[in-house]
Amino acid sequence: MKSLFFTQPFFQKNGKSVALFFLVAIVFWFIFLVIIPQLYMLDLSFRANIPPLERGGPKDFYTLEHYRHFIFGSKTSADAYNFVDLGVFGRTILVSIFVTIANLAFCYPIAFYIAKIATPSTARLLIVSLIIPFWINELLRSFALRILFANEGVINNVLTGIGILDQGILFITYDVGLYTGLIYAYILLMMFPLYNAIESLDINQIEAAKDLGSSTFRTHWRVVIPHAKPGIVSGCTMVFMLTVGALATPVVLSSPNTLWFPQLIYQWFNLNDNWSRGSAYSIILLIVSVVFVLTMMRIFKVRIGEIIR
Amino acid sequence: MRSSYAMNFLMGIYILVFFTYLFGPLIIMSFTAFNSAEFPAITPWECFSFRWFNEGKIAYDGQHLAGLLTDWRLHDGLISSLIIGAGVVCLSVPIGMAAAIVLTQVKSQLRDIYYSISIMPVLFPGVIIGISTVVLWDRIAGLGGGGFISDVGRNGIFLTILAQTCFISTYCFLIFVARLQRFDQTQEEAALDLGASQTQVFFKILIPYLAPAIASAAVIAFLASFENYNTTVFSILSDQTLTTVIASKVRLGISPALSALALTIIALTVIAAVTYEILRRRQERKYLESQEEFVKEKAASSRVNKDYKAGFKVPKGIVALILLVIIGSYVATQIVKNDLYGNSCIEAADTLKKSKFLDQLQTLESNQLSDEDLQGGSLGGNQDYGDIFGDPTLFQDFGGFD
Repeated sequence: MKSLFFTQPFFQKNGKSVALFFLVAIVFWFIFLVIIPQLYMLDLSFRANIPPLERGGPKDFYTLEHYRHFIFGSKTSADAYNFVDLGVFGRTILVSIFVTIANLAFCYPIAFYIAKIATPSTARLLIVSLIIPFWINELLRSFALRILFANEGVINNVLTGIGILDQGILFITYDVGLYTGLIYAYILLMMFPLYNAIESLDINQIEAAKDLGSSTFRTHWRVVIPHAKPGIVSGCTMVFMLTVGALATPVVLSSPNTLWFPQLIYQWFNLNDNWSRGSAYSIILLIVSVVFVLTMMRIFKVRIGEIIR
Repeated sequence: MRSSYAMNFLMGIYILVFFTYLFGPLIIMSFTAFNSAEFPAITPWECFSFRWFNEGKIAYDGQHLAGLLTDWRLHDGLISSLIIGAGVVCLSVPIGMAAAIVLTQVKSQLRDIYYSISIMPVLFPGVIIGISTVVLWDRIAGLGGGGFISDVGRNGIFLTILAQTCFISTYCFLIFVARLQRFDQTQEEAALDLGASQTQVFFKILIPYLAPAIASAAVIAFLASFENYNTTVFSILSDQTLTTVIASKVRLGISPALSALALTIIALTVIAAVTYEILRRRQERKYLESQEEFVKEKAASSRVNKDYKAGFKVPKGIVALILLVIIGSYVATQIVKNDLYGNSCIEAADTLKKSKFLDQLQTLESNQLSDEDLQGGSLGGNQDYGDIFGDPTLFQDFGGFD
């Protein structure tokens, strides 16, 4: 087994006690914290929702009921499909794509500036000031935006106070606050992979392109972006996955009549006490988002190993 | 040339806008912490006060709004957050270190798979990690019957530590991988040649080399655990952490006490960042100085050895600090002069609001409804809803919330 997995015999290489520690730590993590819980959740998502006492009894059988519910709705409803849940899901995915693209567009100029144009001390200062907001709780950051965007919030009060508007704009109701908050929430996770990728580009390549008469836009399109592709992909992957699974920002900023998909999961889980259905919805979220990311990676021809480096 | 100036100008404006987007909301929120009004806002500015940092207030309509000092739920949440943070650090740093060291020993064909599995938990949505941990441990607790196992399986703090360790280990893993990439293998070989055992190599060479990474992994792990919400909200069960308390407060109605909390965290963060930056610069300077000494010692020629004095320079930071102090003291005097601070201001605002509230109550009470109005009449009456729950067929066609 040792020579199967490792370059050198594992126990000899590390000494017995240390090797044992490594093995225990890794097995504990991979098997016990990552794999078994996911598998058990997968199992639970195929079971009927029953109280704990009836487990193993006649009502404890495998069923596709929860997945059926996601697509077709409850048996008593008149609609052919479960438009509510499907709508929430589709909206979550679409908005997440939009948020990812917006993040990329916002971050690219800044990342390029810090990596290639700014002097080292300016770059250092900018990086530190980029990090500071992200040490503050995601909830509190969303709360800050809520103060701005609330119907009686700062923006509305200022605009009506100056006299530009007669009535405040309903930022929260139209989910403007939510979209702004989602873009705000994970922008750093786009910035750093991008910065790292652009930083490793040799400045001579850019200058060579310029000397050969390429326009600024063309230089970026043909030289910088191809070089930064792994960074772009890893940034996009992280932002997309985190946005799809975001719960804190929607809890604070989404309007009362729209839901974010993790909020739906939360409702099944904590408010309706239907753990099986909550698990099924989680599995759906996980599979669809992972498949989406893998498809994108296939399209843009990036290997998974290149992500997060 | 002109176009490049224009480009730089545009770039400068863009950077300004971007950082306004990042910091603007936080700065405005910080200001709202000092407004004595019940709603966190700037424009109807009531009084300048520190009440949200202290005891909070009892609002004019009798609602109790706790400040930071008196809010015991926040304190309880903070304590369990600290416990969880410590637990996560203790678990995830060793796990991340072990996984990173083993990555260097895995065969190259397997390395990609191993790496992918290791970074997978970061990409999982946080809610899913929380849910899967809870359902598994609920099952384990159920199988364990009574006693210790079922207690542990239903302990929110324990479950949260496990759930957070699942993905925070990956952060630690990445930090250790980055450090190990620059590790010089020959050090190990030298130690082995000199007769050290493998265990000694680990403790005397590898651990000291990894010490900075251990420190930064511990800090990152603690911060990530401290501010996590998505996973914690599921796995904490009936307990509360700081983030879940904040979330429930935000949902119930927003109070400026949260602004005060945020400002406290921001201040701590900025102080930590500045201290870190100063320490780093000092270390860098020391390193440069030692290099210079080295050069001086090496160089025999007196030209290099000559001491030169730098001209007196005023550091930019001090100018900014003095400016801040001047502006701050000006604002403070204006606030005191215009009676915007202190008890008299707050009392005046409260009586104003109370009288408005009483006026509204009186108008409500003066709108006495006659029996005719209730039976139909001009207001529509309440007859239509009179016997709504008496109808036995009411819920028959209602599919339930399912």
